[in-house]
Amino acid sequence: MALISTEERIEAVSKFLLQSPPGEINDVLNDVRTLIGDDESLETGVIPALQKYNLEQFTVAEVPEAHHTSIVSSTAQILGEKDRFLDPRSKTSFLFDHLSLEASDPQIYEPDQASEPFRSALEASALKYLDSHFNDGTTSVFATPNSTGHFVIQIVANKYNPVNFWSGRWRSEYIVDLDARKITGQVLVNVHYYEQGNVQLETKHKASITLPASIVASSPSSSANKVLALIAGQESTYQESLGDVYHEMGEKTFKGLRRALPLTRQKLDWDKVLGYKLGAELSASKGVFGGSGAST
Amino acid sequence: MDIVSSMLDLMRRLPPTKIEENVDALMQISPDYADDLSGNVDQPLKLRVDKATGKEYLACVYNQDGESYRSPWSNEYDPPSEDGPVPPPKLRKLEIAANEAFDTYREMYFEGGVSSVFLWDLEEGGFAGVVLLKKFLTPASPLEPSGSWDSIHVFETVERGRQAHYKLTSTIMLQLITRRESTEGSSSDAREPATWKHDGEISLSGSMTRQTEQDHPVQDTISHVQNVGKMVEDMEIKMRNLLQEVYFGKTRDVVHDLRSLDDLEKARKQRELQKELVGFIKR
Repeated sequence: MALISTEERIEAVSKFLLQSPPGEINDVLNDVRTLIGDDESLETGVIPALQKYNLEQFTVAEVPEAHHTSIVSSTAQILGEKDRFLDPRSKTSFLFDHLSLEASDPQIYEPDQASEPFRSALEASALKYLDSHFNDGTTSVFATPNSTGHFVIQIVANKYNPVNFWSGRWRSEYIVDLDARKITGQVLVNVHYYEQGNVQLETKHKASITLPASIVASSPSSSANKVLALIAGQESTYQESLGDVYHEMGEKTFKGLRRALPLTRQKLDWDKVLGYKLGAELSASKGVFGGSGAST
Repeated sequence: MDIVSSMLDLMRRLPPTKIEENVDALMQISPDYADDLSGNVDQPLKLRVDKATGKEYLACVYNQDGESYRSPWSNEYDPPSEDGPVPPPKLRKLEIAANEAFDTYREMYFEGGVSSVFLWDLEEGGFAGVVLLKKFLTPASPLEPSGSWDSIHVFETVERGRQAHYKLTSTIMLQLITRRESTEGSSSDAREPATWKHDGEISLSGSMTRQTEQDHPVQDTISHVQNVGKMVEDMEIKMRNLLQEVYFGKTRDVVHDLRSLDDLEKARKQRELQKELVGFIKR
């Protein structure tokens, strides 16, 4: 096989980084470090991949000088500044290091006065929803620059348990468009179980709903509550439907692939399986094979 | 960590659905370790048709010689390979018997699919082999679940008098995919109660590996087929239960750990209320 250049090798390992299961990016990075054997080229070379991974995976940042976390995503990215992200909740922006995952240099961010009332109402409802249904969740709610009716709600929840060889991530995102009276969103769930194996659950779920006119017309806090109630209902229905899918896959697909026992409800009788004729034929050569290297 | 263990650690973490392209990428990155990789990472079995008998068989590293694969039915390489290794005549005889036996096993448990057994002599004495089984379910409609099952059972055996010692390493790869789409009507009419439209895909995929070592009596050569047969059967029964537990139990528990269907806030308040009540009664 032709040798490939360091750049090509770094490009190839960047693809591995982007496939990292929840909470295992550092493990993948360590493996990749051994393969490349050139830390300097690696650390500068994989930064674009780490950045992409962090944004796609809704990486959580400890907001400087605040007692909460916020989501690092492309929506949170400050326009024209690659590594600066917005936390609308504390109304600050911060620099984010994609390798150390540390946030620094907080700066005051002036929100848009026209959209802020509804944004903060959505945020309050989203935080309440988070407390009610997620164990280790973070949510960020964004207004869209130069628009008063367009908001993005992002949620992420992570559980990492390397001692018991599993990890999981729940990501959801909803675009609330008051002008078009529509919510469109998606839920992405990833679970990795890797004790003497590698088993992964990957779900993609898209959902959309047309908002009743009454919701849009209410006060910010009342309509924000209703929007989050719709989202909460949708996510619970989805989670319950996962149970149905599991049941179907277990009952139909799994059983259809391999039976627990044959139709006879007994394990095979291997003497019969071999057949008398065949058995007799091979018995005739008894000892011949055994004496030709099979014995120690 | 050395390169091989880093490669294997990577394969334990990266998505099982991308195993083939990731193995290829690893071979490009570290070509010197390509053999270590292909010998240690199980990949989905490929289906091939024996040109001589028309029967399907399974292709993997154990019946591979360059670009050619040996069929267990005709013993021929396809495309033909001049120096492709074939088992010595006595071992080939046992291989034929093993293929017939596992073909029956396949029919009894899988009710379809394809099986193949390959045997080879070990330099240090004794012999080794691999039992392969594969089945997939192709859905009749796009919304029905699809799935595939690949078993790779590698064994080694040495005879010790009337006993033989067996070492079995079994990997089962299982993939299950379901697509979902809502059929509920649209709610563009504002007077109608709002309903969500949705579509999505759920994929459960991966592999698990287990090992066992056992001693069994050997009366004649054919005893090996019975012994390996029983060991493979027991292992698959055990691993099927394990897969069921991990695929349908463990991953679901993790989802419920991430998001609770019950209202956690309500539960918290109830606990507080209970504490207060207990405190009140004690007073």
